[in-house]
Amino acid sequence: MRLPGPFGREAAERRGLARLAAAASAGPAREYAVTGLPAESTPAGELRLLAVDIETTGLDARVDQILSLGFVPVDGYGVQLAGARHIHVRPREGHAGVGASAAIHGLTDDQVAGGIAPAEALDLLFEALTGRVLLAHYAAIEVGFLGALCRAAYGCDLPVRTVDTLELGRRQLPAHREPAPGALRLWSLRTRFGLPVYAAHNALLDALACAELYLAQVAELESASATAVTLGALAR
Amino acid sequence: MALDVELAEIRDFLAGYPPFDDLPPGALGPVVRRLSVEYFRRGTVIMAPGRDNTRLYVVRSGAVEIRDAVGALVDRGDAGTSFGATTLLRGNPSTLSVVALEDTLALVMDADTFAELCTSYPVFDEFFDAQRAERMAGALAAQQASVSGSAILKTRMRDLLRVPPVTVALDVSIREAAAEMSARGVSALLVMDGERLAGIVTDRDLRNRVLAAGRDPGEAVAEVMTRDPVTARADGLAFEALLEMVARNIHHLPLLAGEQVVGVVTTTDLMRLEQANPVYLAGDIAKQADSAGVAAAAARLPQVVESLVAQDASAADMGRIVTSVGDAVERRLIALAHERLGPAPVPYCWVTLGSRARLEQALAADQDNALIIDDSAGPDDLRYFEQLAELVTGDLVEAGYPRCAGGVMATNAQWRLRLRQWHAVFHEWLSAPVPDAILRASIFFDMRPVAGDVRLHGELSGMVREQAPTSARFLSHLAGAAVAGSPPIGFFRGFVVEKEGDHKDTLDIKRGGIGAVVDLARVHALALGVGATNTDDRLAAALAAGVMDAGRGADLRDAFEFISYVRLRHQAAAVRAGLPPDNHVRPDELSSFDKRHLREAFAIVRSAQSTLGAVYGTGKLG
Repeated sequence: MRLPGPFGREAAERRGLARLAAAASAGPAREYAVTGLPAESTPAGELRLLAVDIETTGLDARVDQILSLGFVPVDGYGVQLAGARHIHVRPREGHAGVGASAAIHGLTDDQVAGGIAPAEALDLLFEALTGRVLLAHYAAIEVGFLGALCRAAYGCDLPVRTVDTLELGRRQLPAHREPAPGALRLWSLRTRFGLPVYAAHNALLDALACAELYLAQVAELESASATAVTLGALAR
Repeated sequence: MALDVELAEIRDFLAGYPPFDDLPPGALGPVVRRLSVEYFRRGTVIMAPGRDNTRLYVVRSGAVEIRDAVGALVDRGDAGTSFGATTLLRGNPSTLSVVALEDTLALVMDADTFAELCTSYPVFDEFFDAQRAERMAGALAAQQASVSGSAILKTRMRDLLRVPPVTVALDVSIREAAAEMSARGVSALLVMDGERLAGIVTDRDLRNRVLAAGRDPGEAVAEVMTRDPVTARADGLAFEALLEMVARNIHHLPLLAGEQVVGVVTTTDLMRLEQANPVYLAGDIAKQADSAGVAAAAARLPQVVESLVAQDASAADMGRIVTSVGDAVERRLIALAHERLGPAPVPYCWVTLGSRARLEQALAADQDNALIIDDSAGPDDLRYFEQLAELVTGDLVEAGYPRCAGGVMATNAQWRLRLRQWHAVFHEWLSAPVPDAILRASIFFDMRPVAGDVRLHGELSGMVREQAPTSARFLSHLAGAAVAGSPPIGFFRGFVVEKEGDHKDTLDIKRGGIGAVVDLARVHALALGVGATNTDDRLAAALAAGVMDAGRGADLRDAFEFISYVRLRHQAAAVRAGLPPDNHVRPDELSSFDKRHLREAFAIVRSAQSTLGAVYGTGKLG
């Protein structure tokens, strides 16, 4: 349900941005907060996004840790490789380390120990995310973990707009039928659009994979729609 | 944080294709970080003639087609193909068009990066300069092919007509007719009986039948005209008209659209279109004095197919051409047999069956034929036809058409019958069908007259057209047979290759692909009572009648064309390599582009099979 006026999504975002601006007196977080988010009416061709993927020690944002963060900007219909970053994040003191999750992401304790502190990683993200929408596949994970970092660093939630390629994928499947198991995974959806298979996986490649999938999904939405597809429609 | 290492995937991709494979290893990492990635849905026009382009594109996945300003094909390519350099090197606007043939992901480089790479690495500059020269030359060659090689194969006869037909009524005098021809500057005049074409008079007729014969020019033109002249359909290929005219040694061919005369095509019109083409092969065959000569001329057919493939003719057109040459061979051999045996004692019709009847013959085809003999034939007459069949089928073997393994030939007494007997055979198939018998008989429902009295064939096909639509059990068995053979593709869309034997690790592209569509189309045509034998015509009829979903029907027609094309190209490659052409394609001889399309085509065929199976309740699984 979308509420108008002071209860609407944009109003809630404005309040969140104001809180972050108040908590961060300078630096990338403040810059992000005062720049604000793209308007709902922004057409896809002019929309600026940042595709983000994280590797973590587990799925619980309250106890698990971000080990690496990858992102790449999308300007309209193009993924800008110049803005691609892959950051190893050093876990908090006293955390058990990579542990069994290494089997999933292939990161080692040594690699993440050479990374930067979580708060620094968050600032790098704010820098790249300024004026952009966060794009992710199943964005709840990214928003959960990055929100936890934001609360730890600034004492407030992360104000962010998201576009979720999993959600777009679900909408493009037949509505009346339950999707087959695994059909909405990033690599399954990519296959549907004839996108290439990557040999390796890491946070940056998965962010890039998500960004490419987004381009294909937008192209499909626009071919089926008489009017321009806007952020409002994509983020619905 | 060694940043460039992380985009190794894209760097390694580029390093696999020219000219990036010639750049020093350290140079690619920084290049990758200056690229963007874009996505183009199938059918998107990425570059167009007259439009500016300022970027270089490299196909990451998918495929594109490059054409020149007049639409001639310049290049097609999948992963690793680059385009856009023509305008970067020679300035805007573009003279080429680039269209995404499939959903395509591309790496995009801006003009500054491109210019820097050209300056820093001569090998980069040279590659694109050579590519540009090649694409321009390729476009030119394609254009030349379209005006010389394949024009006659693609041009419809109605496109050759420049003026409306010049006509006179039946009762005008020869003198008036001649005056009309002079006034209108034509070498042939159509003589009309009301709206109906009654005859044709040519310059040559005026010379031979009037002047040389000392006839009175005051007589009616009807006295000297050629009555009921040979005509052709205006929407036929120019190639077919030329064949007809060469075979009959005539120089004027009236064209009909429905019942109405729309014009006259002359040999000069056609010669202007074309100098060197397969029609001369058919002409040569028709001129041979003996069967050895026919065989020698027919041996040129594989080379003709090879050159047609090189000219990018469609599979449908190539099928018609190979069919026409086959018809010419069979007609000439029948005529030669008559020279030895004397004229036939009673009317008969020599019919061809299967792929040639459908105008879809490829190379490596067996002969399939039968004889329909007039009911007046007595025992001695039947012996004549036995001899005729022996002679012609033997000569056909010599000419490169092996005997049918299943014995479907006029030499087989079972398929050399009087019309009444044929009626009984078809009646039995239609009214009391036995599944195995129907499977073997399906070839007889693709039948086309080649020589003799076409009315005998017409009576038989008329009966089939009438009875088939109401023969429910027959149609159900036929549909069951049509869905029995699966395309060579697995559940996960991998190709299914032969597991053993001479053709191990190959796809049988005829049985599971082409054959499956042919069978489907036949069921639809018979159910609708449509007389067409050509698969594409049958599918078009099913679409027009609404028994096939428009989208699926169009997909199936495209799939049929594509699978047929892959087969003919495979055969052309065999001819080039000096091997006997066959129907067994190795997946590894296909490009990734073809593989994807072939998988797609097979999947469409399989889905059409399950739809048909559902309609006729044959319960095909999967």
